[in-house]
Amino acid sequence: MRINCPHCGLRSNDEFSYLGDASVVRPDPAAPNATEAFYAFGYERANIAGPMQELWYHAAGCHAWLVVTRDTRNHEILDVKSAQEVALERQKAAGTAQ
Amino acid sequence: MSELANHTKTARASDLIERNDVTVTNIAARRGARASLDELARATFGVSLPSTPKAVEAGGTLIVWAGPDQWLIIQKEETGRDHYSELAKTFNGLASVIDVTESRTIFRISQARPSPVLSRSMGIDFHDAAFKPGDVAITHVSHLGVIVWRLPDGTAYDFACARTYSRDFGDWLRKAKA
Repeated sequence: MRINCPHCGLRSNDEFSYLGDASVVRPDPAAPNATEAFYAFGYERANIAGPMQELWYHAAGCHAWLVVTRDTRNHEILDVKSAQEVALERQKAAGTAQ
Repeated sequence: MSELANHTKTARASDLIERNDVTVTNIAARRGARASLDELARATFGVSLPSTPKAVEAGGTLIVWAGPDQWLIIQKEETGRDHYSELAKTFNGLASVIDVTESRTIFRISQARPSPVLSRSMGIDFHDAAFKPGDVAITHVSHLGVIVWRLPDGTAYDFACARTYSRDFGDWLRKAKA
């Protein structure tokens, strides 16, 4: 499996380390349901068979965190973005929603 | 001595040198300061800080991309000059400036093309069409992290590794280049 790092180009997966689901977002600790929300944030994960957003770290390369969309059934990489870019987009979306 | 041992002997030892006549400074842009840092770099060096894996030469200074918003500034040592302090003063407030001269070892192989062994040893494509003069790659060799670049004039390949591993890496390189 090779991952197309947006900074370095196509690299072998032995340069990357895997963190997990990139779709989970840290809940608001001030929310009334914070305990339940943090339980879900910490433990509840969907076992997706298909395209899934995952966090990968280019540990032996440029040291950037990436959001990789990978099909869990055949390891096909559908999309790679820098995690910083994704986080900024999320912040922007959250800002407009409020 | 076996034929293989002969083959891996450092017959062209002069092609491989450890560059201990340079200072290496790491600069990393502070959050949101990328544009103003670049402006200042252009005023200082006359060139832009590369935003892709490239190395650019600017009047004897080599600027090597070292990850997003990070660079290695490689300058020839000069008596009576403190390159690190000069850079730290110039980029104060816009970038973190760290002297990494003592933590990095840079090896140079003066070859216009890499040896076949070297080409096969790293997970990057060293073919002329893929790794051109001025190109940079951050990768690893048998778990040793290394930044490799081809000089902008195409005369040599440089390899920067952590000094702790320089003996291992240098030994490996000596064998790989033969």
